[in-house]
Amino acid sequence: MTDDIARRRFHEHVLPHLDDVYSLARWITGDTADAEDVAQEACLRAFKAFAVVSPERPRAFLLTVTRNAAYSWLSKNRSRALVLAGAAEEAEAQACADIPAVPSQEEAMIAASDQASVTEAIATLPLAFREVLVLREINGLSYRDIAEATGAPLGTVMSRLARARALLAERLGALR
Amino acid sequence: MIDPDDALLLNAYVDGELDAAGVIEIERRLGAEPELAAAHDRLLGLREAMRIHTPRQAAPDALKARILADVLEERPSEPVTMRIWRRHAPSAGLLTSLAASLVVAAGLVGYFAAPRATPEGEMMDSLIAGHMRGQISGRPVDVASSDKHTVKPWLAAKLPVAAVVVDLANEGFPLVGARLDIVDGGGAPTLVFKRREHLISLTELPAQHGATKSSNATRRGYPVVSWTDREHSYVAISDLSPAELQTFARLFREAADREWSAAPGAQE
Repeated sequence: MTDDIARRRFHEHVLPHLDDVYSLARWITGDTADAEDVAQEACLRAFKAFAVVSPERPRAFLLTVTRNAAYSWLSKNRSRALVLAGAAEEAEAQACADIPAVPSQEEAMIAASDQASVTEAIATLPLAFREVLVLREINGLSYRDIAEATGAPLGTVMSRLARARALLAERLGALR
Repeated sequence: MIDPDDALLLNAYVDGELDAAGVIEIERRLGAEPELAAAHDRLLGLREAMRIHTPRQAAPDALKARILADVLEERPSEPVTMRIWRRHAPSAGLLTSLAASLVVAAGLVGYFAAPRATPEGEMMDSLIAGHMRGQISGRPVDVASSDKHTVKPWLAAKLPVAAVVVDLANEGFPLVGARLDIVDGGGAPTLVFKRREHLISLTELPAQHGATKSSNATRRGYPVVSWTDREHSYVAISDLSPAELQTFARLFREAADREWSAAPGAQE
């Protein structure tokens, strides 16, 4: 019985958003095969959770589960990536005081950037910045949902996002 | 170099996270402070670069099949037919693939067969089916054009009524084109808009057609916003977040209002 409910919720809340799940997993792990494993694990966790809870905002819930599954996966397979993510938190302390002055030609450079350079610039952002940027720009979550998904306060989400974009602009500008 | 707090404000503005008072304030300042305006342009440029170069990736079909089979197969009650087949098992490989496709099929049936069968519910379901079909087939529109002067005549040639067509590209929801959906055995015009890589299907219906009040709901996992103006009802469906879909609905209403008051026959 509960299984039927979980199944129904899974069809309503998970299947329409598989692309979101997969994309987020892919940006966090940086690899397509790993992303598939993470996505499958996330779906399994969501399915089990749906047997007992009915989340208020299912899409945000699903992406939270995905993000957590990706982190478990990273800690099991690439604990170094998480250590590096920790370093990002320290960098963040100065982040706001340190938003770079961007030269005016940079705008044109961003416009002229190509897929490989944009992908590369995002993929090499520190994890804590990258995930916030991806949750916002690619998954389209609200600040509140991102705060919930990452377990960070709203103010931290805002500063990470601003910092992520500043870093990205800097990198794309410096490419040429 | 702009103030760090201003940078946060600007990001929140670009993300649509400021309240009305904040929006008014920052728009006033954008007009007065060139440095702030330049930072704003950069943010928009960056977003555009991401939108073009790093779209949301589609989950591979193999992953979808794997999830349907592996995650949902945990259920103890499997379809009876599968058990019968298993007894007369041919080859193991064939059986596995048959079983997998059956689970996929069972999943899809469950997907379409769930909630209630009110007339309004049926109408919503057919609209959602139209939206899903557009996404799955990769061909969400019958006429692909961002020009409303192309889309409107195309619809006019196929329908007895003139559909309201507006473009919201400046507001971040460019028009992709239009298709005809079938509602109640008749054709209904559906405009398709885009937000990042998400599609929005907006269907126009005669005003007396079911949904009369504004409503925000989730149906089969999709946020659905519907409302009624002077002559028409509208239903917007997307896999965007509900908040963004509501923003879209508001912008569309405003644009449709402008269109209506500008029309030659309109009088207040």
